[in-house]
Amino acid sequence: MNSDIPVSDTPVPDTPAPDTPVSDTPAPNTAAPDTPSEAAISASDTPVPDALTPDTPAPDSPAPDPSELAAPNAPTDTIGSHPTPQPPQPEVTVPQVRLKGEDGRLLLLLPPESDLPSAMTWTELWLQLKNRLQAGERFWQLNSPVHLMARDRLLDARQLQDISEALAEAQLQLKRVYTSRRQTAVAAATVGLSVEQQSAITHLSQTEAAGQVLAEPLYIQTTVRSGIEIRHPGTVVVLGDVNPGSSIVADGDVLVWGALRGVVQAGASGNSRCMIMALRLDPTQIRIADFVARAPENPHSQYLPEVAYVASGGVRIAKASEFSKERLSP
Amino acid sequence: MSRIIVVTSGKGGVGKTTCSANIGMALAQRGHKVAVIDADFGLRNLDLLLGLENRIVYTAVEVLAGQCRLEQALVKDKRQPNLVLLPAAQNRTKDAVTPDQMRKLVNALTKVFNYILIDSPAGIEMGFQNAIAAAKEALIVTTPEIAAVRDADRVVGLLEANDVKKLHLIINRIKPAMVQQDKMMSVSDVQEILAIPLIGVIPDDERVIVSTNKGEPLVLSQTASTAALAFQNIVRRLDGEKVPFIDLTAPNDDLISRIRRFFGSRD
Ligand SMILES: Nc1ncnc2c1ncn2[C@@H]1O[C@H](COP(=O)(O)OP(=O)(O)OP(=O)(O)O)[C@@H](O)[C@H]1O
Ligand SMILES: [Mg+2]
Repeated sequence: MNSDIPVSDTPVPDTPAPDTPVSDTPAPNTAAPDTPSEAAISASDTPVPDALTPDTPAPDSPAPDPSELAAPNAPTDTIGSHPTPQPPQPEVTVPQVRLKGEDGRLLLLLPPESDLPSAMTWTELWLQLKNRLQAGERFWQLNSPVHLMARDRLLDARQLQDISEALAEAQLQLKRVYTSRRQTAVAAATVGLSVEQQSAITHLSQTEAAGQVLAEPLYIQTTVRSGIEIRHPGTVVVLGDVNPGSSIVADGDVLVWGALRGVVQAGASGNSRCMIMALRLDPTQIRIADFVARAPENPHSQYLPEVAYVASGGVRIAKASEFSKERLSP
Repeated sequence: MSRIIVVTSGKGGVGKTTCSANIGMALAQRGHKVAVIDADFGLRNLDLLLGLENRIVYTAVEVLAGQCRLEQALVKDKRQPNLVLLPAAQNRTKDAVTPDQMRKLVNALTKVFNYILIDSPAGIEMGFQNAIAAAKEALIVTTPEIAAVRDADRVVGLLEANDVKKLHLIINRIKPAMVQQDKMMSVSDVQEILAIPLIGVIPDDERVIVSTNKGEPLVLSQTASTAALAFQNIVRRLDGEKVPFIDLTAPNDDLISRIRRFFGSRD
C-alpha cells in the first residue's frame, strides 16, 4: 500500500450515510479504505439541492463521515505506479520540469539533482520535457530564446543536444545554459552553446520563495494519459481529457476542458478556496486543499460541466451553470 | 519507403504476438514483402505462433555479435514466401540488445522488406524501449478491460513522447454478448479513453487459441472465421483501404454469410 494514501486503522464510526450526495472529509489522515461508502461525488442528478450552493451552509448536513475518505477505487488501480497526491509541500522539492516566461525569454527549469531522494532520472526528465513541449504550452512566442537553468544537474553533450533538438522541434531556440556544474558547462561549450557557470550559492538565491505567489497558469493542450503526473505551483488548464491513472497537483485551480477521470488536487499548498472545473467530472479522486472526495459507485448517465469546491467542511459539486449564477447573484 | 510498425500493449497476454503473426501473414498474403521481428528477448514465442520454431538456427543476438549475417538469421516461411521471421534469443536477458542496435537491424531490413512488424514484450522497460526504438508507427493492442486500457493509455503517452506518432488501436477479445449485457467495456468505451484511431476489433474466439497451438495463424485457415476476417480487414486498412467495421453483434453463422454477400456484391 502506498504510504502517501492517507490510511488509518481507526474503525469507522456508525454514522449514517450522508444524504447529501457529497463528501464531508475534513482530515485526510483518517481514511478507512476498506469501508465502501456511497457516492462521494455526485450532484448533477439532484435538482438544485441546497447543499450545493457554496454560500448556504447545508442545514442538516450530517456529521463528517470518515468512511467517505476512501482510497481510489480498487478496480481502477492497476500496475502502473499511479501517482498519489502528496500533502502540501514547498515548491522547491517538487521534481518537475518547468517552462516559465520571463522578460521575453523562456526559462527551462530542470529540477535540481540534489533533491534526493526524489531526484529524477534523465529518462523521466526527458519524458516530462517532451510531454510538456508536445502539449503546446501556449504562452510562448515562436522562436523565443530559451535559457536552460540546469542548476546542479549533470548533463552530457548528447543530452544537451537532445534538449536543444526537442526545443527546436517546438520552434524554440536554446540560447544559453546556466549551470553550477563544471562538467555540464564544458559539455555545453563543446556542443556550441553559450554557458554561464554559476556558483551553487547564486543558484540557491535564485530559486523562488516557496508558496508565496502562485506561478503563472500552466496551459496545456493534450490528453493527460495514464502514468503522467503534472505538478504546478499555480493554476492548471488542460484542453483535453485527464485519463484514469494520471494525476494533476496544482497550487491553484484546475480547469479541464474535457473529461476529468484521473486524480486531481487543487489548492495543493492548502488553499481551500481553490476549485476544480471540468466539462465532465468523472474523477478517480479529487482533493481541494485537505479535503478529499472520490468517485461515486454509480457513475452519472449524463454529464454536464461541473465545479467542485469546498463549502461547509466538505467538497461540494455544482453544475457549472448554477454555480456561476449563485456566485454572481448578491 | 518501408513501414516500420511496432505491436505493443503495456499489459501482457492481450494478444500482441497473435496480432503480429496474423497481421504479418495477412500482409504477406496480399503480396507485401514482410519481416516480423520478435523483440521479446528471453521470452520469445512469435516463432511458435508462426510454426517456425524448428527452423531457427541463428537469432538477432548472433547477428549483432557478428557471428552470422542478417540473411542467415531470417527464417523463411515455407507456406508463404513473402514472410520472414527474425527470431529473438531465448536464453539471453532482455539487456542483450540496445535501442541503437535495434535501429541498425531494422534499418538493414528496410532495404528488402515493405513491412517490418515488431512484436513488443509486455511492460514499459528496456525490452519495450528496444521494440519501439526503430518504429515509425504503432498498433496498440488492448482487451476491453480497465487494466489493459489503462496500460495501453500509458504506452500511448510513451510512444508520443518518443516521437512515434502514427498510432492505431486494435481491440482484441471482445465478447459481443457480454457488451450487450453491459458486462464488458464496449468498443466506444475504450475509444473514448484512448482517443486514437481504431483499426480493428477482433472477437474472442477459441479458434484463435487452437491456431496458436498448431503454429498456424488463423488467416491461413481454409474455413472462414470472423476473427480471421477481422485480421484481414486490419491489413486492408493498413494499406489505406476504407473497410467498414464488422457488426459483431449479429449472430455468428448469419454473419459469415452476410460478409460473403457483402464482398460478393463489391468485388
Ligand atoms: N481473439 C482471441 N480470442 C481468443 N483467444 C485469444 C485471442 N487473442 C489472443 N488469444 C489468446 O490469448 C493468449 C495470449 O495471446 P498472445 O500470446 O498473443 O498475447 P501477448 O500480448 O503476445 O502476450 P505477452 O505479453 O506474454 O507477449 C494466447 O493463448 C492466445 O491464444
Ligand atoms: Mg507476446
